[in-house]
Amino acid sequence: MNAKSNHTSGSNQAWIFILLGVLLLLVIALNLTLGSVRIPLQDILKVLFGQSGVKDSWVFIVQDYRLPKILTAILAGMALSASGLQMQTMFRNPLADPFILGINSGASLGVAIAIMGAGLAGGLFIPALSAGGDLGLVAAASLGAGLVMGLILLVGRRVQNPTTLLILGLMFGHATSALVSLLIYFSAPEKVKAYSIWSFGSFTGVTWDQLMVLVPVILFALGILAFLPKGLNALLLGEDYARTMGLNVTRLRVLVLISASVLSGAITAFCGPIGFIGVAVPHIARNLFKTSNHKLLIPAVILIGAIVAVTADLVAQMPGSQFVLPINVVTSLFGAPFVLWIVLKRKQGSTSFNV
Amino acid sequence: MKPPLLSTQNLQIGYSNGKPASKVISFDLNLELHQGEFVCLVGPNGAGKSTLLRTLTGLLPALDGEVLLGAKKLAQYTRKELANEISVVLTSPIEVGAMTVTELVAMGRFPYTGLFDRMSGNDWKIVHQALEMVGLLGFEERMVHKLSDGERQKVMIARALAQEPRILVLDEPTAYLDLPGRVSVMNLLHELTTDHGQTVLTSTHDLDLAMRSADRLWLMSPGGKIISGAPEDLVLSGDFQRVFTRDRITYDVMNGHFSVVGNNEGEICLQAEGELRVWTERALQRVGYSVIEDSPTCPAMRIAVHMNENDVIWVLQDGDQEREFNNLESLVSFLRAH
Repeated sequence: MNAKSNHTSGSNQAWIFILLGVLLLLVIALNLTLGSVRIPLQDILKVLFGQSGVKDSWVFIVQDYRLPKILTAILAGMALSASGLQMQTMFRNPLADPFILGINSGASLGVAIAIMGAGLAGGLFIPALSAGGDLGLVAAASLGAGLVMGLILLVGRRVQNPTTLLILGLMFGHATSALVSLLIYFSAPEKVKAYSIWSFGSFTGVTWDQLMVLVPVILFALGILAFLPKGLNALLLGEDYARTMGLNVTRLRVLVLISASVLSGAITAFCGPIGFIGVAVPHIARNLFKTSNHKLLIPAVILIGAIVAVTADLVAQMPGSQFVLPINVVTSLFGAPFVLWIVLKRKQGSTSFNV
Repeated sequence: MKPPLLSTQNLQIGYSNGKPASKVISFDLNLELHQGEFVCLVGPNGAGKSTLLRTLTGLLPALDGEVLLGAKKLAQYTRKELANEISVVLTSPIEVGAMTVTELVAMGRFPYTGLFDRMSGNDWKIVHQALEMVGLLGFEERMVHKLSDGERQKVMIARALAQEPRILVLDEPTAYLDLPGRVSVMNLLHELTTDHGQTVLTSTHDLDLAMRSADRLWLMSPGGKIISGAPEDLVLSGDFQRVFTRDRITYDVMNGHFSVVGNNEGEICLQAEGELRVWTERALQRVGYSVIEDSPTCPAMRIAVHMNENDVIWVLQDGDQEREFNNLESLVSFLRAH
């Protein structure tokens, strides 16, 4: 009886997915053609399919600049959104995301130690770090993210009030920033400069070699998430219900901790701290699909996250100008009002994810 | 008699915080829950009802003693095995966001579905049956957050039933509901035991409803002691009154409800019958008079209720004086001013 009506809404949702897929292709195409140099789509297709007859400089721009940048943006959007969704469900807080809870700051601390701390230790670790290279940077950022998130989980278990949790994240963020400042204070100027450029956030500058690291790491963490929708759904009812349904809450928490901190840590390592995508995209997905069901939400946030990040990068390029804005400027300018809207829309004291 | 479904042996409950100095709420509990019973756990606020239920459902470890589920100790069950035996409904309204009734009830199949939560035809059948048992057929595609509190709690009961538990445990399921919602939920729980043989254990503050529908009460006193028995037995033995009597509030054993002890204004003889007698008596008790049987030698004021044609007239006789009233409101306000 209800199979029929399920089917109707199910096909609606399929259509939304198809439209989102088309939209993603569209913004990717726009991002490839627009920029400080405008390259016609047909030439871009020629480059992509390895045909000749395109200016060398255009080949270079597409192959070594725009393609890796777009790929990075897609990965970042997927990772940050998926990370935000998991955290919102686990902390039962519609404002939880890697940026707001200070987990990015943890990742930043990891990166700061990797970039500057190596110098502080008298060059002892420099060979080790350069050997570890990009993977080392990812590991440092993920560890930093995981550390802060683990701390918030430990302390936050006793906290029922969503506001308290946010303040907790804010304080952890401040504490880690202080440590970063301390590192900056004692570091050589060129390392400080490297760090501060990194901290503006950017999808550019990630090389194909680095992508060889980033892609499998993100796929691994998203792979963990693929096993979690059932548990995350149960957690929507609250921990007590989830436990009496037979859910191993501790194991779920650990898996979410690993997945979410690797996702946000790896992206933070390569792109810098990027705000608001993680908090905003899960809300867009819930409103679009009118559901809290993670079986739908997880693929939805991954797709929407990619669209949002590629679009944000498109805006940051300021097509037609030589100017490129830091990605954080764009995400914050659009994201901050969005978060305000979420806060004001919520019922007083509500911890839910109403659409 | 068949062995109990659930029993406790010298159970001690409370919170330990991992320190030796634990907070013991109740001890030496020896309780039994039998197949198909409807048991209501009642007691004043803060007596430890929730702590007991959390311990019995395995959410909180016992400080000492044992909970036996069937012949096996509760502590020896894995979470998953336990989910096949016991399902719960908790007090607080859930906030799941956007979810349909069917989606939420289907979560009851959690212990039975695989890693990716695929529902079989049989799973859907059980979800349908659960909705039918709580009377929510036709609600399948409604959004949970748009339902009334009472309907939402019934959805949660359906979810718990879809888990196919041997015991359904509820922690004050009616706390947030309005009066019709309370009656409807308690009635539903009673029907689950009588019509479907479901074993139900619930804590509640609705003493009146509990007294009328429970097979047995677990009466928890502020000290944590629990007396178990049929509601009527507990009243006749005086245990019920002892637990709930407060300043100025007593349990009226004759009428089976709580009443406020007001100022004692004296006695009044009442000459009336049927519903007129019942409600006149209540109005008089409200302003502090106790009603005694009418007799020719009535020592006090007398009220006689006369009916002529469509009107009712209350005649108050105080010594030689007589006054007539058309309704109880004017009678009561006269007595107050008097």
